[in-house]
Amino acid sequence: MKKFTLVLFMTGILLVSGVFTTLAAEAPVTITWWHIEIVENQIALWQGLADEYMAAHPNVTIEITGYENENFKTKLTTVMQSGAPPDLFQSWGGGVMNEYAKAGLLLDITAYLDKDGWRDTFAPGALGVYSFEGKNYGVPRDMGMVGFWYNKELFAKAGIDNPPATWTELLADVQKLKDANITPIALGEGDKWPGAFWWEYLATRIAGQAGFNAAYSRKGSFTDAPFIQAGEKLQELVALEPFQSGFLGATWGVDEPTLMGNGEAAMDLMGQWAPGAFNDSSIDQKGLGNKLGWFPFPMVEGGAGGPADALGGGNGFTVGKNAPPEAVDFLKYISSVDSQVAQAKIGLSLPVVVGAESGVTDPMLKLVQQGTAAAKYFQLYYDQAMPPAVGSVVNDSVQGLFAGTLTPKQATQAIEDSAAQEIK
Amino acid sequence: MSVNDSYRRKILKKNLPRIFQYIILFVAVVIVIIPIVMLIFGALKTRGEFMTRPYTLPIPPNWENFARVLKMPGFWSMLLNSFLVMLATTSGVIIICSMAAFPLSRMKFRGQNLIFNFLTLGLMFPITLAILPVYLMVRQMGLTDNLWGVILIQTAFQLSIGIVILCGFFRSVPSELQDASYIDGCNAFSFFWRILLPLSRPALAAVGALTMVTSWNDLLVPLVLLNSDSLWTLPLGTMQFQGQYGVNLALIAAFVILSAVPAVIFYLFAERQIISGLTAGAIKG
Amino acid sequence: MKKNSFGQNVQTLPRMTNPVRRHQDRMAIMIFLLPALALFLIFLVYPIFQSVYYSLFSWKGFGPAVDFIGLDNFKRILTDRIFLKAVGNGLLIVVFSLIIQLPLALALALMIGRSLRGRAFFRTIFFMPYILSEVITGIMWMILYNPNPNRGFINAILTLIPGIKAIPWLGNTSTVLMAIFVVLTWKFFGFHMLLYLAGLQNIPPEIEEAALIDGVNNRQMITYITIPLIGSTIRTSIYLSVLGSLQVFALVWIMTKGGPVNASEVMSTYMYRFSFVRFQLGYGSAVAVVMLLISLLFSLAYLRLVRQTDYLN
Repeated sequence: MKKFTLVLFMTGILLVSGVFTTLAAEAPVTITWWHIEIVENQIALWQGLADEYMAAHPNVTIEITGYENENFKTKLTTVMQSGAPPDLFQSWGGGVMNEYAKAGLLLDITAYLDKDGWRDTFAPGALGVYSFEGKNYGVPRDMGMVGFWYNKELFAKAGIDNPPATWTELLADVQKLKDANITPIALGEGDKWPGAFWWEYLATRIAGQAGFNAAYSRKGSFTDAPFIQAGEKLQELVALEPFQSGFLGATWGVDEPTLMGNGEAAMDLMGQWAPGAFNDSSIDQKGLGNKLGWFPFPMVEGGAGGPADALGGGNGFTVGKNAPPEAVDFLKYISSVDSQVAQAKIGLSLPVVVGAESGVTDPMLKLVQQGTAAAKYFQLYYDQAMPPAVGSVVNDSVQGLFAGTLTPKQATQAIEDSAAQEIK
Repeated sequence: MSVNDSYRRKILKKNLPRIFQYIILFVAVVIVIIPIVMLIFGALKTRGEFMTRPYTLPIPPNWENFARVLKMPGFWSMLLNSFLVMLATTSGVIIICSMAAFPLSRMKFRGQNLIFNFLTLGLMFPITLAILPVYLMVRQMGLTDNLWGVILIQTAFQLSIGIVILCGFFRSVPSELQDASYIDGCNAFSFFWRILLPLSRPALAAVGALTMVTSWNDLLVPLVLLNSDSLWTLPLGTMQFQGQYGVNLALIAAFVILSAVPAVIFYLFAERQIISGLTAGAIKG
Repeated sequence: MKKNSFGQNVQTLPRMTNPVRRHQDRMAIMIFLLPALALFLIFLVYPIFQSVYYSLFSWKGFGPAVDFIGLDNFKRILTDRIFLKAVGNGLLIVVFSLIIQLPLALALALMIGRSLRGRAFFRTIFFMPYILSEVITGIMWMILYNPNPNRGFINAILTLIPGIKAIPWLGNTSTVLMAIFVVLTWKFFGFHMLLYLAGLQNIPPEIEEAALIDGVNNRQMITYITIPLIGSTIRTSIYLSVLGSLQVFALVWIMTKGGPVNASEVMSTYMYRFSFVRFQLGYGSAVAVVMLLISLLFSLAYLRLVRQTDYLN
């Protein structure tokens, strides 16, 4: 009798636990995922990864929506207002992400990263961009440094044998190009952020990490000497008139890549996405081919920055506060080495996961990636690193430097005023 | 001076203004059409060609962009959604605006001015900012990710323009007509329905055309309210060709042309209907 | 003697004062106004109140608004050089629209409105710019304005004239506002033309026939008969044009974002930048409130002026 009861009891438990496990396993989960890719093979890559994951986890549905950049920002702002963010979404990290984190709209995934060594798969600098006050809210998938993309043929035509290593050499090269009737620099300052790269790099070279941190932590100020000097150096460049006609109204989206891709300008200070854009905008869709070279931003004589310091940024995904654990699991899935290699192969990302570097085959992009990985001080673009209001003031003020409507003192003062108000 | 000369001069004098008019119109057409022609050319080029040489003739024409757009899985559903939203919004606007404009322009009552001024507020507040609280409201009503949410918002924000235009037109109908109809036994409703509306066909058509265009091109409201891409309208479709790092102008051009064509066709068709109804409306009692 | 809208004396009939009809009328009025008022109260009044509320705070746009600063936002707005420039640019656009865009639309409407061969063709062509979305309009005109004569059609034509160099229309602070105004005219004159055409269709043909029999010539016809008869349409068109000019946004944002260095800044781009780029929604809301007040001021003043004219008739 007792034995029978025991057997019955055990069967009962087995049955019940069996039922429960099945129920739990089949509880359907939906993950909303917003990205900003529009190129077909990039969309296909994300969809492919989602399909694979859904096949392996039948109770999970992943709803993907791809948005255009500006529209994405508008949509995200409205959705954030309602306090119901999507589960996984595109993020550039830094200031904007910090605001969302402060408002409690993001999921803290620090614990997930600590488990099973997930954290260590990422290049630490890149991962740091998606953390705030010691907690992680997302992971990167792409990180690269800004550098000079240049036309080797045009440089040779102007008699420039080697890319410039110092600021003085750069100015001299600009003059050589002008003398050879070649537009030295393509710049879409209508968009404001391409020009900001110039000033931010000068500031990085002159102020160094210590200088920036001092100003950003509010122990120092953005009106400190290095930042003003950065403005003065920029004025030296602007005085040479090295840009294409009408550059103040030109855009990154159309003008810069068209000029570079068709060999009408010699160099462009831009990020890792540049070659793809150059190719697409060229008349034969092939771009400069092996006429395209890359060199890092030159050293500024007397500057406190180091030669391996880099300005740059990239893309990643952050997790919304309502996301189910499956969302973080999926995030882990798309951050695998294989996924990163696949992304690198189609030019979607410059990998940030250790071991995925092999996916980068283009020699120029390899240079960029190596530079990024080797950077001791990696500075996120100011308009991402700092609160959005300050970043916007930086972009606007630098445009004033390019237009000659602001002096370096005035420009840095505007930035400092904004920083004082926003960074607390 | 022979008779023939003076006769010729008279004909010329009579026709000169007409010829002059045609010249002006022709020049205006050319100026107006340049960007549109460039758009059409652009759609027939490859992306690189369009970026590098925007205004040259597309020879040979590249039909691939059009083909790609037509083959896009979402294009036809977006077209349908745009159509539904446009029809609903336009009908709603015409009906609600004509109803509201009637007492505001043809009757006298206390608070009339206040209500009229109130209803013009839609013209004074930037919709890009209004969308933030509107989204919250629509969300509370449970109408996000629903075409009806889009229709309601579009209608609400088009009311001011419609009311202002229709008030202006309704006012120009002679009051004797209204008085006479009342004596004949009409009340407000039948006057409105049987006399005022048919007489105001051109104005209603104008409001309809303007609303149609605004609804068809509206990007902000569908962008913010809709999530599922099965509900997307055409303007959201152009997003697929604009990336963070580049813009495929040629594809956008093809897409825009293919989006505009149904709207233009529908407008021409609707206009013809209205015009044919005009001759009927011109017969006054 | 009472006069009708055409200035002729008419005999009026005694008005009926049936109390039942009066009550019916009041009901009728309410029913007619109800849908519009309802939609308005829900979807427009609420956002306006919200904005007025947030304009008193320093607020990032999410989470509750906690940092009450009273009228500080408004003080900052009214002393900001850039905002004042935006208002100035807005007024310039208003004035230029009134003296260029509207007469142009009227002239074209008059030409097409008459029995002219190919009316429908011209009507459709001139309405096309309005049919195109603002986004694509902005993009196309940016291409047209390209400073490189190989790319920009306008400069290509311009440089055909010997001695004239290409002008960077959107990159030069002195030409950018004018360049944008050309685009605005191109885009919106069809809107006003449509209004005038509708107004012209409302003129009973008997009046024109009678005038012709009386021997008026073309110019007299237009000046003394046609234009006065579409007077209310013209007044409506002016009203909408001013308000539309004050609110203009998408075209300017797409083409220049208000730049370069605020040369083409208007109130709505200023508002957009602070709200959506700088995440300073309290300030942005205050800008919206100021825009509302300016528009309201114009509207009340204009309507009072216009109402007098209408009542005099």
